[in-house]
Amino acid sequence: MVVPQATVLRTEITAYLAPNIRKLLLGVEDRLLGNLEEIRLRCNRPLVLRVGDKDYSIDRHGRVMTDLKQGYLVSREDLYRSIASISDNSLYAFEEEIRRGFITIPGGHRVGLAGQVVVSGQEVRTMKDFSGLCFRVAREVPDCALGLLNQVAPRGTPLSSLIISPPRCGKTTILRDLARLLSDGNGPVPPHNVVVVDERSEIAGCYQGIPQLNVGVRTDVLDACPKALGMMMAIRSLSPQIIITDEVGRREDVEAIDECLHAGITVIASIHARNAEELRARPPIRKLLDEGAFRRGIILSRQPHPGRIEEVIRWDESCCG
Amino acid sequence: MLWLKTIGICLTIAGFGIWGLGGARHFSRRVTQLKDLRLALGFLEKEIIYMHTPLTRALERTARFAHPPVNQLFREASRHLHSKEGATAQEAWLIGLKKLAQTGDLDKKELAVLEAVAPQLGMSDADQQGKFVRLIQEELKLMEDQAAREVEAGQKIWSYGGFILGAVVVLLLL
Repeated sequence: MVVPQATVLRTEITAYLAPNIRKLLLGVEDRLLGNLEEIRLRCNRPLVLRVGDKDYSIDRHGRVMTDLKQGYLVSREDLYRSIASISDNSLYAFEEEIRRGFITIPGGHRVGLAGQVVVSGQEVRTMKDFSGLCFRVAREVPDCALGLLNQVAPRGTPLSSLIISPPRCGKTTILRDLARLLSDGNGPVPPHNVVVVDERSEIAGCYQGIPQLNVGVRTDVLDACPKALGMMMAIRSLSPQIIITDEVGRREDVEAIDECLHAGITVIASIHARNAEELRARPPIRKLLDEGAFRRGIILSRQPHPGRIEEVIRWDESCCG
Repeated sequence: MLWLKTIGICLTIAGFGIWGLGGARHFSRRVTQLKDLRLALGFLEKEIIYMHTPLTRALERTARFAHPPVNQLFREASRHLHSKEGATAQEAWLIGLKKLAQTGDLDKKELAVLEAVAPQLGMSDADQQGKFVRLIQEELKLMEDQAAREVEAGQKIWSYGGFILGAVVVLLLL
């Protein structure tokens, strides 16, 4: 049976790879391709496919193997052709994306860029002499946040919540599905106007401003917009009931969240931390928690699978936050 | 029999004369094409710098802007890129250039300047693209001026030369 994700990958991602690598990938069995998370192209080093927690490579004859040293060596030409294809041979049209370090391709998949970074003052001006590409497969897991919904929206009323976990535990996937469920409505949860402030184009996977992933019918997306700025813009112009954003933590994010909460908007955000103690060690976040800004904290882990709910913290029920 | 000879002589001289006139027109066509190329590159530069139009579309629009046969360079390159078969801008540009070389009147050294565009096309930021395209435009302007200076002498040589050659061939045959 063809795994749907594998079919999507064959049509959406392989078109942006150099012909040699495309040919190798098209020969990979669906079972592996269906669970693929990353494709890494590094100049003069083996092609690496990341599936779950394991790395694989493919040799010249298309055989998949765990011994990366036997894998197909990615040439400078392969990189050049892949970059040319991703950018439609128009790097000048992707200056902002290159400054941010990634380009989003149709389907919402992100291609991370590595190379020589040209800095002017304190700002990245551009990147040149590319040495590596990381294709991160955008994955929708419909209903993966269903189990969280009664925590985030008990009795149908959404509460400001933080999704907490180290990287690669499924925060973004959960946020995306939460956006969809809250936007469309589900069971006792009525539909809401949702704004996703997607600074890194990961939640909605926008390509040319259009969300490539399902974030719900009542969701507006501010793509590639700095979080703090986006939250203020949303308050002013999009009248959201819920704002969803990824990886908050900077002082200006905290100030913007404060503004949202005072405007009566529910904020659901993700943040990097392993547990509540680590979270409270960050002064701006501690201030928010002390003020009672967030009512729920959901800690995720990767074991036995990404997105597993490790713990739910009810800040609204505890006396000391 | 004399009338047959007279017709033969006239046809020979006229044939060589027309061939010479065609050769003479090559000089003025070359100047026009260099100018068209320069203007087309200016258009492409603006599409890249100000509009940030992706190259495939920028080339297509430039093809619409440019006059034949120069537009074939841009049209072929755009068509090749549009096919999305992993072609790079460099390959597409060289294919377009090949087409122009077949149908246009440009010299080898002028084609060589245009060849230099290939590896750079699209693969840097807008500033760099702008600088590079302007440099090529300046080169083309110098070549255009040079070609314009060669027009008069070249046209005379070819147009008179054709008839004279025809006459010489007639004399030799007689």
